[in-house]
Amino acid sequence: MNAPRRLAPLALGTAALFLLAGCSGGNSANTDDAEQSGGSLVIDTAFSIETTDPGHTYDPTGNMVAKALYETLVDFEGSDVTTPVPGLASWEQNDDATEFTFTLEDGRTFSDGSEITADDVVFSLQRIQGMVEAKPNFLLAGLTITKVDDSTVTIASETPLLQLPAILANPALGIVNADVVQENGGTTDGSDSAQGFLDGESAGSGPFVLDTLDLTSQVVLTKNPEYTGDEEPAYDRVVIRNVTESATQLINLQGGDTMVAMDLNGDQVEGLEDGFSVDSVPSGQTIFLLLNQSPDVAGDLANVDLSEAVRYALDYDALLELAGAGATQATGVIPTGFEGALEEGVTQDIDRAKEALEASGYDGQTLRLQFPNDYPVGGVEFTPLAERIQSQLAEIGLNVELAPAPFATELDAYVGGTEGFGLWFWGPDYADSANFLPFAPGLKVGLRAGWDAAANTEIADLAAAAASATDVDERTADFTAFAEAMQESGPFVPLIVPGRNIATADTVTGAVYNSVWDVDIAEITPAG
Amino acid sequence: MSAERGTGNRTDVLAAGWRTRLRWPRAWRSPLGILGAVIAVAWVLVAFTASWWVPFEPNAQVLPRLQEPGVDTLLGTDGTGRDIFSRLMTGATVTIPLALMLVVAAMVIGTVVGAVAGYFGRWIDETLMRITDLVMAFPTVILAMVVAASLGPSLFNAVIAAIVVSWPQYARVTRSLVLGLRGQNYVIAGRLLGRSPLKSLTVDILPNIVGPMLVLATLDIGAAILLLSGLSFLGLGAQPPTAEWGSMISSAIQNFDAWWLGVFPGLAILTVVAAFNFLGDALRDILDPTAEVARENQADRTSSATGAAA
Repeated sequence: MNAPRRLAPLALGTAALFLLAGCSGGNSANTDDAEQSGGSLVIDTAFSIETTDPGHTYDPTGNMVAKALYETLVDFEGSDVTTPVPGLASWEQNDDATEFTFTLEDGRTFSDGSEITADDVVFSLQRIQGMVEAKPNFLLAGLTITKVDDSTVTIASETPLLQLPAILANPALGIVNADVVQENGGTTDGSDSAQGFLDGESAGSGPFVLDTLDLTSQVVLTKNPEYTGDEEPAYDRVVIRNVTESATQLINLQGGDTMVAMDLNGDQVEGLEDGFSVDSVPSGQTIFLLLNQSPDVAGDLANVDLSEAVRYALDYDALLELAGAGATQATGVIPTGFEGALEEGVTQDIDRAKEALEASGYDGQTLRLQFPNDYPVGGVEFTPLAERIQSQLAEIGLNVELAPAPFATELDAYVGGTEGFGLWFWGPDYADSANFLPFAPGLKVGLRAGWDAAANTEIADLAAAAASATDVDERTADFTAFAEAMQESGPFVPLIVPGRNIATADTVTGAVYNSVWDVDIAEITPAG
Repeated sequence: MSAERGTGNRTDVLAAGWRTRLRWPRAWRSPLGILGAVIAVAWVLVAFTASWWVPFEPNAQVLPRLQEPGVDTLLGTDGTGRDIFSRLMTGATVTIPLALMLVVAAMVIGTVVGAVAGYFGRWIDETLMRITDLVMAFPTVILAMVVAASLGPSLFNAVIAAIVVSWPQYARVTRSLVLGLRGQNYVIAGRLLGRSPLKSLTVDILPNIVGPMLVLATLDIGAAILLLSGLSFLGLGAQPPTAEWGSMISSAIQNFDAWWLGVFPGLAILTVVAAFNFLGDALRDILDPTAEVARENQADRTSSATGAAA
């Protein structure tokens, strides 16, 4: 008589437990579908996306989605961003590298079945040129885009622009269906209002079409039935979810909720057991130290000897420890994987550092190292990095005091060039080494270090030569010379190129990091 | 029967009178009070001696990163290879003396303001108390954040911010006590003897408000430690690489999977705050004569009741 009465609450509790367990499945995005043929793919990433209109996008997640929805004239293969390959078009350039002629591939269609013509290309690019406020607008500044015939377009610039193909590979310059977009408010004169339409559906030729977009929770893509390219997607449906905490991404991946986790840090991927694979590659970002060369800011210590002392005092292997898997030492201001990057980075040389410190006139002052403390780059937190730099510099007798601040606060001081000693990062806007020329004296980043053009005319000339080169090999040599000169006598100390870790369950394969669009979703296929 | 019980009670009362003089007060002997006192004394000892005996320099990055708690490193290592145990103990030397200092400062400021307001009354009272209300109108942590942020992030400025937000409660309590005491006959008598207001306050009134103030201050040490750690957690207090409990927890977020980074500083804060609260509670019981008598009476009643039952 007694036993059943005692069992009843137990049974009730068990039932409640099961119910709870059932509820916890609520955050998984239809994992059942994955079992069916075609199935769906779930990707976790911390969202940085504002729109799915390629003309307005310029964020990592935005680029990844645009890459899936739209195609560009030029493409890259896998994670190699040094060699542009034909996308929608193949191209030829004139000898001055000022005019490029693009010939569209035959038989390519948009998702509504209509053919891609030169008119679509011209409209897509001119639409962005017209929208002065649009983020990718600067990519096409000063270019003249002309239709030659139905399958040929020329793009001309006034100065040599060898990096044009690399620029055109940016997903923001994806080709949209001119007729459809024009019907929905698209224009080339700047009064464009098609963004609202393009946030609801896509009008491109990419392997996927947009199903739904929710900027805070998830983007759902479905397979483009009219796709005519060579990257036929293996999944019918792709769900890209906004998971801001990397620890949550890890739990989702381990629990089988998700197949691809985009933002795991080095320590997290090292802890992944069997059944998962990780693609760790250096990203395009460079974390560096800057030492201000303006006497107004740095006083007596405004000289490059001090930066040499810092450069040779650091133990780069110990710094790399903090960055985790995939990260590499920055060999110069141009990161590995880009044209003209140096092969070897600096190795620690305490004697040389001490000599340089002597030459710099350092006299026991305390340098304030300013850095953003809430903005990890590629999973690398700046505070531990700064702490380690501080302790390493103490070994040559250089006193450093740490002055962390939120990114938004510290940015003004950095951009305004008022930081004496700063820890910052720089990433390319598009995949070309020309993006690293701003480190030169008198240019954007150089000026942030108080380094004006007169400070080192030699390096300024090297940068100018690289910018106006018309031959690829010549330009590579110019970039190398520039990078070497910067390491020899620049005010910057390149530290780390953080890694990007794309972790996947073993059920999928092909998730490869690309510095322009993170991951080409169409390349992801079921394993085996 | 009844006569027996009567004599028994009388001897009990006599014995009780001796006992309170010879032994610790009963409230002191409450388990929580003892526990609080032991933990608090231990932490204070750590705070003043830690730098002599910790196994590693708190900022030395000489160990492997993210090592789990074990034999070599008692509480594991953090993301840059520093020994958590050494940092935790050194953290006490930062937090506890500063917390004590700030509580003393807040108590002095608050008591002076409250005593002046309560003693002189009228417009002085109005002005001082409205200023007190003004400060109390803002949520403590938010106001402290505003002050610390506007002074610039550093441990010293965090202490100033904490003083700014914590003096009003002392002012209020002092004022109400002084208001009550001001009308007492002995105070009035003192004034009629020609004592200046200053002398009247210090000689006649101050000894009578010291007790409640001490209780309030002891209870407030816990809150002060929480506030300082909170400000450091938000990046407005201790700056890296200083070992401080709040900033240790804050940096533990970066390595979410390494539980030992955040748990131990958290436990340190928990134990020290709880200890000072217990201590404050016990102190209140001791210094409040009515509570002591009530406790004694109750204890006597229970003992005699059990005695009668036996």
